[in-house]
Amino acid sequence: MEVFRFVDIYATKGIEYLIVIGFLAAFVFFTRYLALRGGESGTGRRAAESVEWFRVPGEFHYHQGHGWVKAGGEGVARVGLDDFAQKLVGRVDSIELPPAGSKLAQGEKGWVLRVGSRAIPMLSPLDGEVVAVNEDAVRSPEIVNEDPFGKGWLLKVRPERLAANRTNLLTGRLARRWTEEALHGLRLTMGGNLGPLYQDGGTTLPVHQNGGAAVTGIARALYGEGWETKVKEQFFTEGMG
Amino acid sequence: MKRKSNDTGRARKALHAVREFARFLASEMKPKGKIWTPFNVISGTIIVVGIALIAIRFYLGLGAVTNLSQEYPWGIWIGFDVITGVAFAGGAYVLTFVVHIMKFEKYEPIVRVTVLNGFLAYVFYAGALLLDLGRPWNVVNPIIGNAFGLSSVLFLVAWHFLLYMICEFIEFSPAVAEWLNWEKARRVVAKMTTGAVIFGITLSTLHQSGLGALFLLAPAKIHPLWYSVYIPVLFFVSSIFAGLSMVIIESTFTHKVFHDKIGKTLRANHDEILLGLAKGCIGALFAYLFLKVIELVHGGHWDLLATPMGYWYLVEIVGFVALPIFLFGTAIRKRSVRLVQFTSFFTALGVILNRLNVSVIAFKWYAPVRYYPSWIEIWVTLTVICMELWVFRWVVNRMPVFTEHPEAAKVEEEIIPVAEVVRWKYSGS
Amino acid sequence: MSVNRRDFLKLAGVTGCSLLAGAPRRSEAAMTSIEFYGMLIDTTKCIGCRSCEEACNEQNGLPKPEVSFSSESVFETKRDTSPGAFTVLNRFSNGKNPDNPVFVRRQCLHCCQPACASACLTRAMQKTVEGPVIYNKDRCMGCRYCMIACPFDIPKFEYSSPLPYIRKCIFCYDRLKAGERPACVEACPEGASIFGTRRELLEIARTRIYENPDRYVHRIYGEHEVGGTGTMYLSAVPFEELGFRNDVGTTPYPEHTTGFLYGVPLVFVLWPSILIGLSYLAENGNKERNHEEEE
Repeated sequence: MEVFRFVDIYATKGIEYLIVIGFLAAFVFFTRYLALRGGESGTGRRAAESVEWFRVPGEFHYHQGHGWVKAGGEGVARVGLDDFAQKLVGRVDSIELPPAGSKLAQGEKGWVLRVGSRAIPMLSPLDGEVVAVNEDAVRSPEIVNEDPFGKGWLLKVRPERLAANRTNLLTGRLARRWTEEALHGLRLTMGGNLGPLYQDGGTTLPVHQNGGAAVTGIARALYGEGWETKVKEQFFTEGMG
Repeated sequence: MKRKSNDTGRARKALHAVREFARFLASEMKPKGKIWTPFNVISGTIIVVGIALIAIRFYLGLGAVTNLSQEYPWGIWIGFDVITGVAFAGGAYVLTFVVHIMKFEKYEPIVRVTVLNGFLAYVFYAGALLLDLGRPWNVVNPIIGNAFGLSSVLFLVAWHFLLYMICEFIEFSPAVAEWLNWEKARRVVAKMTTGAVIFGITLSTLHQSGLGALFLLAPAKIHPLWYSVYIPVLFFVSSIFAGLSMVIIESTFTHKVFHDKIGKTLRANHDEILLGLAKGCIGALFAYLFLKVIELVHGGHWDLLATPMGYWYLVEIVGFVALPIFLFGTAIRKRSVRLVQFTSFFTALGVILNRLNVSVIAFKWYAPVRYYPSWIEIWVTLTVICMELWVFRWVVNRMPVFTEHPEAAKVEEEIIPVAEVVRWKYSGS
Repeated sequence: MSVNRRDFLKLAGVTGCSLLAGAPRRSEAAMTSIEFYGMLIDTTKCIGCRSCEEACNEQNGLPKPEVSFSSESVFETKRDTSPGAFTVLNRFSNGKNPDNPVFVRRQCLHCCQPACASACLTRAMQKTVEGPVIYNKDRCMGCRYCMIACPFDIPKFEYSSPLPYIRKCIFCYDRLKAGERPACVEACPEGASIFGTRRELLEIARTRIYENPDRYVHRIYGEHEVGGTGTMYLSAVPFEELGFRNDVGTTPYPEHTTGFLYGVPLVFVLWPSILIGLSYLAENGNKERNHEEEE
């Protein structure tokens, strides 16, 4: 073939590279956008404050009975139940809280949740004296399901031996690990994957917002009749009234 | 009145901070450990003489110090320093792929040192490239200049080197931030790791194969047994096992030399890690061998195997590709770490041989007068290697390269086995 | 997916720089109507007077050689171009006619699609629309990749200088712009070297072969070699006997790297996508595996 004029077979290379750069920039935004929507925390050593479907915020100290303690100002700590507990139990009909002035002992009965006719006691996460009770939670127990770490707090307690109590409380990464174990325990009961239950469009299980993570009453869905016994096992309160 | 004193107070504090930092850096520059060790004496001599030779090179020009000629424009400064050295830095992208993309946590303890090695290799060997350039000050031209030679593979390689060094530095900067105790900076760069890793692997793929693609423009000058359209792919695959072999070799040395710096996790898992790396090597070597066979058949030049260059080709393939496969296989089956280490030296030799073949030995193999490096070229190459080793040692002695982030290390020790967590005391009926 | 702000800034910076750097010279490629100029060297007419060498030396301000241009002693060894000599004459014995040796001029062939220009990463070697491959000394870094690429080994490097340049024939580009012919063509007394557009020269060459089929080998060297060159040769004896390479092929050299360079944007787009996907799958796979292991 005869060539008589200037021919540049790489004429479009510059444009191609610019397009590539544009793609990479768009790619960065695309992945960030996906991450925000999906709720997945992504990679890196510092994981988000959740374990699959359960929130385990870092500033709280957790008791194996699934209660939490958060130190407040002026020597008063707040107490409540964690996300795992509220999801396991599902919608609470009423809560029996110890009145102000009563004494709590770590590892002993703290309060009772009522679902229908079933009573599910929970352990107190610390030693101390109750100085206040969350009236809103008593009046509208659903806030305990909606916001167990914030508005759904249960008791304000003046701790007596907080430092000693702390040795039996978990926080941060260990707390997340422990929650994973609890979830794993649930999975074992189901013989494997809990996943499909929650992807279910909504025949038996209404799904909250929040990326489809939350479901009311895991225990009820899993165990059917006699589910409260299983829950009490998780809360270490079997055999308690 | 008050505001004025606040301003001078701030300025004084800033100045104080800068002075403290400078003092810190100065103290870090002081050597740790013995000064007059045999290694220091030998490498120090090499470096001092090397620097003098480099000065001569710039004063007199390339012709005075090298054996380069109009026939052989590229010698070992390109053929060995750049083309082979960069292949050995391939461990960085392979390991970051394995650890950060595929999440094989088993290899996490060695990622940092490999990334450090990769970064230093690019800085020093691509830096050695500057020595080879006739007008190195013009190296900025294809970067920020007004003339991009977009049709050139070398343009691509140059840009990728630059971008990749930035990526490697980002990947390594958490260790730097830990050394300087800049926690916020550390968190920022730690979040950038995955992005840097993905970009780094993409760049590596292209410039490892790009180094091979450079020679695509010389079909009539490279012996037919070594020239084919597959050179870029072969260079890429060989960079995988070149890099992994170098990781094995490097760990062999550093575990002896820096024994006290090795963290608990790494020390415990060292053998397992080496065996795993050997498996990676053997896989890549196996693929490479078959690619070479395909290349040979595709080229149709098997009649050339009976010539002297053909015998040399067979030495390279049989002795330095097939044999390492067999040796690695034996080592993996017998779980022999010694054999793994020996074979990786051997494999590294094979990579050097292959790269030198394509760039220097099989290049213009028909010329009556062949190129061989001058003693100055060899000495300067050794100088570059020694300087890199010194910087490597300086970094390892000061920054957490072989250990985890101190906080994470603490957590490692704190992790209570789950069974114990359950056995909390609780009183209850 | 974690923050890649730094990457974005880096990319934005690169984008900005490359935009500032100027758009590629597509306009020249697609829309030029100028045809290449070239040179036809008829070795049957060359008498070996070396006037071309002398004219080139003067035109380019090259250092005067030790042996004068009228001396024939230089023909005793085969010479190559050098930083100080852009065109050199070599004498070859004539198989057909032993009393009449053949003189062949060697210099840059100004390929239609030059390997050196394709190899140069700073566009120091540049193919002009008029045809000559010129050298922009201000851009050159001295990497010598053009020397590796050139199939004819023409670019020569000033190894002896601490401030070295690449040197080769630039077809007297300045004279061309002023409407004049290259110095060597101007100086040739026998008209062995003639100047014109490549199209014209090919027609002239073919006409000569057609009209004197016994005088010439039926081949124009440079017509198809490496996709065509600007400087072409006619010869009475086979070209291999005159030191010409027969193995350079007819593919234009820039096309040897198209396979690789065309694939680059693909890797840039596919690799990050695949790696993100793998990363996501691996993370989920790890979670599953962790739970299984602890059973």
